[in-house]
Amino acid sequence: MVENGPAGVIVGGWNFVVAAYSITAAGLILYTWSLLRRIRSQRRLERKEGKP
Amino acid sequence: MNPRLSRAIADHWMGWLAIVLLVIGSWIGLFVAPAERHMGDVQRIMYVHVPTAWIALLCFTCAFVAAIGSLWTGRERWDATLVAAAEAGVVLNTLLLIQGSLWGRATWGVWWDWDVRLTTSLILLLLFVGVLSLRSFAAGSERKANLTAVAAIVAYVDVPLVYFCVRWWRSLHQIQSSPATVDPAMILPLRLNAFGMLFAAAWFIVRRARLELARRRSSETALPERVRMIEVPRG
Repeated sequence: MVENGPAGVIVGGWNFVVAAYSITAAGLILYTWSLLRRIRSQRRLERKEGKP
Repeated sequence: MNPRLSRAIADHWMGWLAIVLLVIGSWIGLFVAPAERHMGDVQRIMYVHVPTAWIALLCFTCAFVAAIGSLWTGRERWDATLVAAAEAGVVLNTLLLIQGSLWGRATWGVWWDWDVRLTTSLILLLLFVGVLSLRSFAAGSERKANLTAVAAIVAYVDVPLVYFCVRWWRSLHQIQSSPATVDPAMILPLRLNAFGMLFAAAWFIVRRARLELARRRSSETALPERVRMIEVPRG
């Protein structure tokens, strides 16, 4: 430690950055897919029930 | 233009806008913005972590407002919005904790710490998972809506704690930054991703709320038929 704050810099760490972005993208895509699947299944049900 | 394509764009413009903003914002955050002085490239997680946190809290705030609206008016639109916003908030809060864990491992050297910010964020996630679970156990649409609304209001008490805890108590997590404390080159990707996440959450909430309303209409029309089916053998 120096008077102006912590010294040094974290070197590397791109694997953590890539993991964070990939997991976020995967999570958003998975939720979108799940939502669209539920919407489609509801539409199929409505068509079966004879709704417009 | 193909009518199906134009309809898809009109129906999902918020989703498309979210994708464009998130792709541009992430690209700038990953490859254009400068590395931070002490954390180096690891700090680039901030461009996705902070917008996720902001919008997750916004989703829970939307759920809270909808809960009050639901109790006040009894309208099913408020209840559908509450469920949709709580669900979107749970998804974003889960992603937030994973991103934070990765960032923590790279900078603090641990995947998890029972720090006040991390703990209150985990409690918030568990509370809203509880709200959604409780809903699935309740019977009757009015009872279900009231129970969900009351539970969401109680769960929302944790939101101000999550936001202010880093100022109120000693925390390993840093306090909120402001445009005055952030390098101007870092603000653009942060804002682009924040708006991207906002449009994504808005698209999730609108679609999920419509689905909830459609499901309710289906169950309301299906119920009398089921009752008739049960009554036929008796007659």
